[in-house]
Amino acid sequence: MLSTRTLVYGALAATFVVALAGLSVFARWDVAHRPETHDGWQRIAWPFPRDGWNEGQAWRGHDMELYVRPKLGFCGNCDTGVVEDSEVDRVTDIDLVDPLFVPLEGQHIQIADLVGRMRLYRLRSRGDSQLAAGIAVSYNCDLVVALIVGKIANAEQRQIARKFLEADPVQFWVNRQLGEK
Amino acid sequence: MKPLALLIVGLPLLAASGAFAQQQKIGDPPEASNMRLVGWNDLQGRSAYQPTIHHQGDRWIAYIGHHGGTDAIPDPINPMTGKAEPNGTSIVDVTYPANPKYLRHIPGQEGKYEGGGAQMVRVCDGSTLPKGDRNAVYMLRTFGSEAHEIWNVADPANPRLVTRIAGLKDTHKSWWECDTGIAYLVSGAPDWRVRRMTQIYDLSDPAHPRKIRDFGLPGQQPGATGTVPMELHGPISTGPQGNRVYFGYGTDKEGMVQIVDRDKLLKGPAAPTDANLRYPEVGRLPMSAWNGAHTTFPMLQMPIAEFAHDKDGSKRDIVMIVDEAIQNECREARQMVWFADVSIESRPMMISSWTVPEASGNFCQRGGRFGSHSSNESMAPVYYKKMAFIAFFNAGVRALDIRDPYHPTEVGYFIPAITDKTDKRCVREAGQDRCKTAIQTNNVETDERGYIYIVDRANTGLHILELTGSARTAAGLN
Repeated sequence: MLSTRTLVYGALAATFVVALAGLSVFARWDVAHRPETHDGWQRIAWPFPRDGWNEGQAWRGHDMELYVRPKLGFCGNCDTGVVEDSEVDRVTDIDLVDPLFVPLEGQHIQIADLVGRMRLYRLRSRGDSQLAAGIAVSYNCDLVVALIVGKIANAEQRQIARKFLEADPVQFWVNRQLGEK
Repeated sequence: MKPLALLIVGLPLLAASGAFAQQQKIGDPPEASNMRLVGWNDLQGRSAYQPTIHHQGDRWIAYIGHHGGTDAIPDPINPMTGKAEPNGTSIVDVTYPANPKYLRHIPGQEGKYEGGGAQMVRVCDGSTLPKGDRNAVYMLRTFGSEAHEIWNVADPANPRLVTRIAGLKDTHKSWWECDTGIAYLVSGAPDWRVRRMTQIYDLSDPAHPRKIRDFGLPGQQPGATGTVPMELHGPISTGPQGNRVYFGYGTDKEGMVQIVDRDKLLKGPAAPTDANLRYPEVGRLPMSAWNGAHTTFPMLQMPIAEFAHDKDGSKRDIVMIVDEAIQNECREARQMVWFADVSIESRPMMISSWTVPEASGNFCQRGGRFGSHSSNESMAPVYYKKMAFIAFFNAGVRALDIRDPYHPTEVGYFIPAITDKTDKRCVREAGQDRCKTAIQTNNVETDERGYIYIVDRANTGLHILELTGSARTAAGLN
């Protein structure tokens, strides 16, 4: 028969093992649920209601929010890609941010190896002072669209967001959606 | 091995072999039920879109629009000229359907896939058009993304260009009323905010087109701001008698049917303002964002047997809506067929839907697109309001008994065999293309005799079919 001391030590050891296991499970849960962060950007939930396209990635950082998602098969011309600013109006999610948006100037843009157009918008429903930038680049017949909202009045800020679009966390995900091109 | 182990090992193998067994191979026979192949033409191995069958004197002529060429063969050789020609329009004499005779290829715009070719075609007799040359037969076609053209095809082997409406950034699935000459041209007017909208022309005198107006959804017009509504796919008009035009917006996403008063559309103020664009609209039916409206085929005043003794609503105005599948191997929501009751135009309502059961042929594994694309658009009495034929890509053409549109029923199908000209279809996996070859029945049309014409997007040509068995009986052809 086991002594009382042995039983107490055994119980303590068992408790210690269970506590360690619990801690390990919690640590894994914590890591899995901790917001993903990269270079000052923190991953946030996709903020828009469900539509015909799959949800994208949303990030917040540097006083901006960035929304990006592929739209497979949505490119108007698979040969030329996105060459018109009006196509950026149509295909980006700018209307989800502000259905009353006012288009401003556009320019050619390259994100990693994809090319297309970027266009600025004035957000009328947010008092006309806020801007957004819509980006549409293509790979064959597939589009990748992005939207930058927040403090984007100067080009340097927009450049930060653009660099993040080219960074690994976004690019790995986008490439997977495109069948790794 | 124990029975349970055999089951565990065997079932997946059986399922996999079933999928493999149904993959099409050259030499395999067509798959059919209550439909029979009567004749075939390879259309010079060109990817095909719209077929239009026209009774011309004592002949029956098929005019077939083509997409642009492929990466592998951008400009197929025309054996009649010996030259490489960009895909355009095929003209085929189908007077004897068992022996279709290729008459002429009219080249289209240089370019691949939807970036070239001459996809759309409609035909009207000069004797029917109010101001046409009585001896002429006019073919209206698109010229790639650049223009609409009218050709005189009275001698279908020697067509002559009559006129051209150019300066566009896109074109697509137009409609032409032969008795009035009014044409609803799906165009991309350069200053509009969408790739495809409607340009309405009076083509009653094809040599002198007269523009009536531009039309689209409010927000699509030049100078508008804010959300850009989904672009047009194509309209179908019921002419002055029905006084309605049914516009289908979206292709595989954000579909919508717009019901428009034709008279107000043609005679209302033409300036493209929000108010003027809204003026002729009498109703809208928004669809799920997962589905588009490729074809909106009206069947007005359909008698519904089940409602025959009801005081109200024994006849219903029905619109059959066909979505277009875009992605290969089911990489999108199912695109299918919907029936809408539009009798109360301000409150249209979906009443039924229909799709090919995927498991009936393991179609998601066969390769290429699976899902609907288009229906026949002929309103000839032989099938109108009785039977509909749906092009379903790798599931071929499907014959539906639609006499009760609340419960559409399949009565036959035909999946053509592939040939050495059938083009492969690929998906990206782990950075590599994985390709399969399968029939891609893209469009279908019928003639007044009851023949069914299907054409293939993957270059397999034109198949002329007829109904057999119980499907033929259901259509009243026996």
